[in-house]
Amino acid sequence: MEIVEAAGISVAVVAGACVGSDFERALEVDLRIAGDGARFSTAGVADPVACGVRLARLLLVTRVVPGAALGDAAMALAGQLRALPPLALAAVRDAVRAVRDLTPEAALTLEHRHIRRLIATQDHRAAVAAFFARREPAFTGE
Amino acid sequence: MGSNAHTRWWADGPIGYIELDNPPMNVLSDDNRRGIREALTEFGQTGARAVVLTGAGERAFCGGADLKEEEELTAETVGTFLQRGDETFRALREYDQPIVAAVNGWAMGGGLVLALWCDVRVGSTRAKLGAVGVKVGLMASNVQLSRLLFEGRARDLLLTGRTVEAEEAHQLGLLSSVVTPEALMDEATAWARDIAARPPDVVAALKRAVNAALDPVAAEPRR
Repeated sequence: MEIVEAAGISVAVVAGACVGSDFERALEVDLRIAGDGARFSTAGVADPVACGVRLARLLLVTRVVPGAALGDAAMALAGQLRALPPLALAAVRDAVRAVRDLTPEAALTLEHRHIRRLIATQDHRAAVAAFFARREPAFTGE
Repeated sequence: MGSNAHTRWWADGPIGYIELDNPPMNVLSDDNRRGIREALTEFGQTGARAVVLTGAGERAFCGGADLKEEEELTAETVGTFLQRGDETFRALREYDQPIVAAVNGWAMGGGLVLALWCDVRVGSTRAKLGAVGVKVGLMASNVQLSRLLFEGRARDLLLTGRTVEAEEAHQLGLLSSVVTPEALMDEATAWARDIAARPPDVVAALKRAVNAALDPVAAEPRR
């Protein structure tokens, strides 16, 4: 298993066996993609209960691709993430992590707090300007 | 029956229909937000037993926030803007009979939120879903997607903003069925009629129960 970091988002790329501490690390990252030859097992994990809770919420693998295409798929996903505005990406990551532990009203309040902040960012304005000019936006993380 | 510049609504027997008509992409205007609320109030009074919500034309169910309107928002006005959106979504959620979204094309950003607050979604083969907030430096649909999907899937869609075609949306359960564009309104009407044939008090209680069940405050993971 390999962990790829792209634009602050961590992606587990699983080609073969994923057991023990690898399995635990895979559950902690933001996204998981696996080749069709990947095998997962909770054997040897240090904290089976925590693993169980995470598993129940997550769905183990986000995407499965043919084993031979795994490297390309990981690169493509990383590229996709790096092309997005970093502040919004980080905000979405934080919000989606938090939402399960909040009431719907509290979750909406949190989302609104993020939106109020993001709407004033240069990257948001750049995205809107690029949309109207029909070109790709360039983001600076500001 | 009623209309405003961007919205039409009418009833056919026990089924109410709301159509967003703000071409070319049916971006969500104040007229749409007001129209949806007025239509639901009217349907509540006349006792519509199910409601179908759709977009006019073939391109879009709803394109989400109007970026031109949104571009002019200031720190002072953004709160009101968000609140108006919430009032609309809340009206869908709190209408006491089910609402069927007939997703005829793009449902993106706030348009996806609109579809996700409906009780059932059916789509045409042209349906495309996108949690595109992140692509314009914002976020949208976070709360609704996290309610409906496993967290891992919700993250995949929210962090990439990628387009989900009708077939994948069906596999994910975000669309309950997918039919040809020509058959979409008949399909949505069939779902609505099916629901309208059930005892309305039971249906209303079920809608409330499902909404409540989807909104638990999750317990902290215990170690």
